[in-house]
Amino acid sequence: MINVLYLDDELHNLTAFRAAFRRDFHVHVTTEPTEAVRILREQPIEVIISDQKMPTLSGVEFFELIMPDFPDPIRMLLTGHADIDAVIDAINKGQIYKYIAKPWNESELKAMVNEAAMLFHERKAVSDQGAVLLHRMQEARTMALMIQRATGQASGLDADQTAEINRHAAEINRLLAD
Amino acid sequence: MDESLSNRSVLFRYCRIAAVLVVLFSSFSVHAQKFIGTRLEHLPADYNLSLLEVEVVAESEDWVSFEQLVPNLGMGEGVEWMRLTLDPMTENGKLIEIQNAGIDDLTCFMVCDGKIIASYPGGIMNTGGDGHQFGTYPSFPVPLVECNELHALFRMQSNKPMIVPLRIAGPRKVLEDAHQRDVLFALYAGVMLVMLLYNLFLFLSIGDRSYLEYVLFIFAVGGTQLVLNGYGFIFGADQLPWLNLRLTHLFGVFSGLTTIVFVRNFLRLSRYVPWLNKLLNVYFLFYLLALLLAVVGRLEWSYQLINFCAAGTFLIIPGTIITMRKGYSPAKYFLLAFTVFIFAVVIFVLKDAGVIPYNAWTFYALPMGSAIEVVVLSLALASRINQLKRESVQAREEQLRVSQLNEQMVREQNSVLEERVAKRTSALESANSNIQNTLDELQSAQQQLVQSEKLASIGQLTAGIAHELNNPINFVASSAQSLRRDFEDLTQVIEKVKGMDPMDPGLKEEMIQLKEMFGSLDIEFTQREIEELLNGIEDGTKRTSEIVKGLRIFSRMDGDNFTMAQINELLESTLIVLRSNLKDHAVVEADMGTDLPLVSCQPGRLNQVFMNIITNASQSMEDSGLAVEERIVRISSKTVESIGQSWIEVRIKDHGVGMTEAVKAQIFDPFFTTKAVGEGTGLGLSIVMGILSDHNAEVDVDTEEGVGTEFIIRFPL
Repeated sequence: MINVLYLDDELHNLTAFRAAFRRDFHVHVTTEPTEAVRILREQPIEVIISDQKMPTLSGVEFFELIMPDFPDPIRMLLTGHADIDAVIDAINKGQIYKYIAKPWNESELKAMVNEAAMLFHERKAVSDQGAVLLHRMQEARTMALMIQRATGQASGLDADQTAEINRHAAEINRLLAD
Repeated sequence: MDESLSNRSVLFRYCRIAAVLVVLFSSFSVHAQKFIGTRLEHLPADYNLSLLEVEVVAESEDWVSFEQLVPNLGMGEGVEWMRLTLDPMTENGKLIEIQNAGIDDLTCFMVCDGKIIASYPGGIMNTGGDGHQFGTYPSFPVPLVECNELHALFRMQSNKPMIVPLRIAGPRKVLEDAHQRDVLFALYAGVMLVMLLYNLFLFLSIGDRSYLEYVLFIFAVGGTQLVLNGYGFIFGADQLPWLNLRLTHLFGVFSGLTTIVFVRNFLRLSRYVPWLNKLLNVYFLFYLLALLLAVVGRLEWSYQLINFCAAGTFLIIPGTIITMRKGYSPAKYFLLAFTVFIFAVVIFVLKDAGVIPYNAWTFYALPMGSAIEVVVLSLALASRINQLKRESVQAREEQLRVSQLNEQMVREQNSVLEERVAKRTSALESANSNIQNTLDELQSAQQQLVQSEKLASIGQLTAGIAHELNNPINFVASSAQSLRRDFEDLTQVIEKVKGMDPMDPGLKEEMIQLKEMFGSLDIEFTQREIEELLNGIEDGTKRTSEIVKGLRIFSRMDGDNFTMAQINELLESTLIVLRSNLKDHAVVEADMGTDLPLVSCQPGRLNQVFMNIITNASQSMEDSGLAVEERIVRISSKTVESIGQSWIEVRIKDHGVGMTEAVKAQIFDPFFTTKAVGEGTGLGLSIVMGILSDHNAEVDVDTEEGVGTEFIIRFPL
């Protein structure tokens, strides 16, 4: 199940949200930003939904706050009315995946959360594959160096052969570096 | 025409009188006088100095004969002696008459063969004496004595020229002549008196000053003639020797002065001949000097001075001619009158000088001349009055013409003015209508601005309210859907329970299934959730209806009418409306008084006031650097007593940036704003002020820069 965190100062919204989506997602709700941060630390949150209008800080501010520590979860902004400045601000800063207007449409919201989770996982997969590739490349590099070193120590190889091997090793290194 | 006619008839009348006078004179003039100056002898000048005894004089051998028929012995302090040798045979019983009434002191001694046999006093000093005098001239009887040599010795002293027209005539002849003279002078006096009275009446009826001057002139001239001819007793002078001695002088001065006054006024010398006018002033002074000399006893000098001044009368002739030339027609008569008079004076003087014979014509020249002068002058005066009348009529006509002209000009001017006024009025009217249009435009612009301010605040509101409403709507709607799903779960359980048969032996099995169902559906959680959702729905409904209620109060349809309303209710509804707007910016602490009386107010407009001030309070703290929890807007309401009255006091206080005095002084001015361009209309507080003054509310603003601002509003109860 997708882990969703929902931050809103309005308790009834939290209740309604949980009631609506507990069957589909693993729902985490809180009215306090600090509590939200704690949940982020403890739970593998994939999607964060925050209300924009809150007494202590706005949704955009909250996202800015958590970005350095939790860049991966997909962020969605929920607001009661078209606070166009906040929307422009959020989109320009690239923090927000979707903007949701209250009152929410349950099925739309559900679809958005699913899409967001999918995006989260795609990104995660890409970054995982990248990590594997990087690891392999490092191994290849190491091997290339070892070959170079081994070639230098080996006797009986004429200068042309040595140069040939060195040239290939350098080529491998260059390709890996790119 | 009438005037010239009456002029002519007046002239005619005077001519007749003159003719009668001339005829009368003609009838008397046939009696030529026979003066015997050549028979007289006098002593040389050295005898004059001392007062000699008559006996000594009688024995003198120094007698000298006169050559003139009418000798002139001069005048002064000196005593003159004169001797007349009489024929005792033929001349006794006759009268020696000296036809000069102006000799001051005259004594006649009869000397028979060197012996003084009689002395007769005469002259002015001795009038009213012993009855030896017939008429006004001194006369002395030749005694009926037998003598070889009979002389009459005359001792004379006078301050006037001692002219001696002496004759010897029978008493009857002297008496007749005296009568004749009396009659003539009575006639003369009558003429003068008539003229005098006539002009006096004219003066009294017309009131023209020149008539009075003329009356005085007639009196002076006529009086002078009478006095000169010995009729001074008419004025009672014979009883007053002091006056009698000076009477001639006084009348001379009087004549001169009245002449100057009369001439000057009559000929309008100040206008026509100014130089003569000034010269006459000099003469006037000389006459006054003569008067002074006469009074102090310098009679000879006085007489000389009067004579000198009288010669100035000639100056009147050129003055008159000049005046006449200048178109002053009455001067014609004046010229005639004075020419006649001066002619008479010349005759008189020539007679005295012996150039022309001393006869009735020459003798009466002066009275006649003066009579004619007076008559003609009277005519002149009439002409002058007519002239004045004509001039005044002309002046009136001129005035009338001028005033008619003026009136016409005024009328034309009026029409021009009216036209101008009409033009100006229409210009003003059009200007006025322009101003009215501008005013209308301004008013509509103002209304638009007020409206836009209202709209701005409404826009601000709707944004807040939308959010405020969206939340409950959101969770109510969402809760309803979740409830349905929860209910579906419950329905499964209910259906299962419904399908269970207590008699069914498989009941236990089914009970176990039900229990499993409870577990899988997490019915307990669902129950709790239903509870929460229902709470949420209830709460949401309540809040929604609260907001709607607040909105309704906030923007009542009757908001602009005065109704009784609870201030606290208005404040609360404003806070509801503002809640979402304030939520991110400030905390409201309300301290509403309990049991506040209702206030007559326009609730809708007061909400606008409160909203504006509270919003300002919240905005003023945005830049204060305070955390949201510290940005407190304190709102309180209570009843207070101040200046003998009850008020409801609303205080709205913030801890914002505050204001400087300069800013504070302007906050209620329209279009004054501290916000950036485009963020505020600058009308908010000016509208607030307008609304509050409509409520007769008092506003105090207590502010300090960097500390905060408090609005204190008091509504009268």
